[in-house]
Amino acid sequence: MLRDYVHRLLRPGLLVILFIGVILLFFILIGKPPLQMFWSMLTYSMGDVFSLSETLAKTTPILFCALAVIVPARLGLISVGGEGQLYVGALTGTWAALQFPDAGLWILPVMLFAGAAGGAFWGGITGVLKAWAGVHETISTLLLNYVGILLVSHLVYGPWKDTANLGWPATRSFPVNAILPKFHATQIHLGLLIAMILAIVLHVLLNHSRWGLSLKILQRNPAVAALSGLNPIRQTILVMLVGGMLAGLGGISEVSAIQGRLQPTISSGYGLAGFLVAWLSAQQPMRALLIAFLFGALLAAADSLQMFAHVPAASAVVLQGLIFLTALIINQLPSQWRIPFWTK
Amino acid sequence: MDEINYTLAGSWVAASLRSASPLMLVLLGETLTQRVGIVNLGVEGQMLAGACFGFGAAAVFHDPVLGLGVGALAGLVLSLLHGVLCIQLRVNQIASGLCVMMLGTGITSYVGRVFVGAEVSGLAPLAGQFASAQSFWQPLLTQLTWIAPLAVVLTLVAGVLLFRTRTGLHWRTVGESSTVAAALGLRPRLVQWQGLLTGGLLSGLAGAVLSIDYTQTWAQNMTKGLGLIAVGLVIVARWNPFLVLPVALLFGLADTSVLRLQAAAVNTSSYLLAAAPYVFCLGILVVTHLRADRDAHMPAGLKAVFNDR
Repeated sequence: MLRDYVHRLLRPGLLVILFIGVILLFFILIGKPPLQMFWSMLTYSMGDVFSLSETLAKTTPILFCALAVIVPARLGLISVGGEGQLYVGALTGTWAALQFPDAGLWILPVMLFAGAAGGAFWGGITGVLKAWAGVHETISTLLLNYVGILLVSHLVYGPWKDTANLGWPATRSFPVNAILPKFHATQIHLGLLIAMILAIVLHVLLNHSRWGLSLKILQRNPAVAALSGLNPIRQTILVMLVGGMLAGLGGISEVSAIQGRLQPTISSGYGLAGFLVAWLSAQQPMRALLIAFLFGALLAAADSLQMFAHVPAASAVVLQGLIFLTALIINQLPSQWRIPFWTK
Repeated sequence: MDEINYTLAGSWVAASLRSASPLMLVLLGETLTQRVGIVNLGVEGQMLAGACFGFGAAAVFHDPVLGLGVGALAGLVLSLLHGVLCIQLRVNQIASGLCVMMLGTGITSYVGRVFVGAEVSGLAPLAGQFASAQSFWQPLLTQLTWIAPLAVVLTLVAGVLLFRTRTGLHWRTVGESSTVAAALGLRPRLVQWQGLLTGGLLSGLAGAVLSIDYTQTWAQNMTKGLGLIAVGLVIVARWNPFLVLPVALLFGLADTSVLRLQAAAVNTSSYLLAAAPYVFCLGILVVTHLRADRDAHMPAGLKAVFNDR
């Protein structure tokens, strides 16, 4: 009993230590003082209210994108489409928000619904292609990412461009009522609360409901699933719709609360970070909640380091790649190696 | 009049060949890799590595051929990583490929900053002066470098290697079933390494061709998913090197047609046109899959990867 609990705490603990090691190693490789840099990362991500608010603002879309990967993964689908779904959700949500410039507060749920629907549509394409034509979901999500981003570019450079911006590619600003409320004077917005609630809901649905169980059966044993009357085609499309919906919500909440209008670049790698968070959480929404915070901190710190310590923006991608690499290797080590001092 | 038409046709073919060369090489590499039972999504990162480091070497040493070599090696190094992960450590191939892709993207954005704006001297055309005649061959000789013929020859050589030699038989056996291959006395991991590393060289070369021969610039993320498109198109080329040429050409033709549409002032957004290759790729994937002949050509060993539930 006790051993189990220590086991459950020890492994994530060791992982965190290992990741810190990776980060330190990275700074040594690029020729920056590692301890000093790591300390700056901590202060820039959690040192004061401002930094913490930046971190939580980045946690929000990352958590949405992680949940968007977790739901399809419960059916064994490797979706890397968070980025594209986020962009299309932002696009449809923006459309709704700009349709009604004089709207009351009712526009908020309408806008969020439109964003969710857009993301769901984009995820659904992958679901349909997988279920009906057998197109591998990883390839189609990756390709659709490019298309989603280009669609947004097309609109904000073209038909949706606000001429009052003097050539700056962006839509009109959102009407006041279509901006998600923020917590005091911080960057923390309603989207974070929604994402956290959804993480809890998904935790219950995936781990403790009939639906979660049927996904598990479909993934582990298709023959039994067929005998129990489960429909793999319907479930494939459903998980992709739900996943896309989640990322779409992340997109529209980011645009509404943080940027206030649609621009060509909405995400600084949230889709990728979300994918990693989902992978590291072993597809568990509650763990993803915590890990998304760590990745939010990583991206917030990377932003500040770029400004103040001239660490290039690409470092965040390299670091995430290295963390992924470490996680993949650790996962394959024989189990007695993982926690060497805790075997019988 | 006929002569001008021939020249026009020739220049169209030349442009298609030229724009299709990188895709042809990376598609050939991925085809060979998948033939030994390995899916490598990392080719996107490998192409970027080839484009970045190849371009850097070509710019620094003023030698495009050296650059192509360095690019191929860069692709090889990243495919080594994929091999360590998925052949030696048995990591899920999709995850391992994504990891290689991420590292390739990140490292090239990081290192490539210094190469932005650098210049390379491209390769010489096949024939410099052909002022004599307006003919079909004239644009081919003046617009193409030796890269396009090399790519074509490589696909043919790979096809012969795969279907007409003992080595090719071994590769195909391992791709169908490494268990059977092991029972026959082959060493499946060794054969998989051969296929994977060959693919690594070719994808790195493809990237270097893109940056040194085709665009003659380096830009962050310049491959824009061409490697991923190649992973998809392998299915369309039915894991057959001989079909790599027509599939890549078809794609190159579509690509240049889009550019010419734009040049002909058809009023379409350049962003929508830029999305065309991805949509086109998804479209032909659907058609190929719906014809339900995919499984007839797919190496049996790959089914475990693609249907890994």
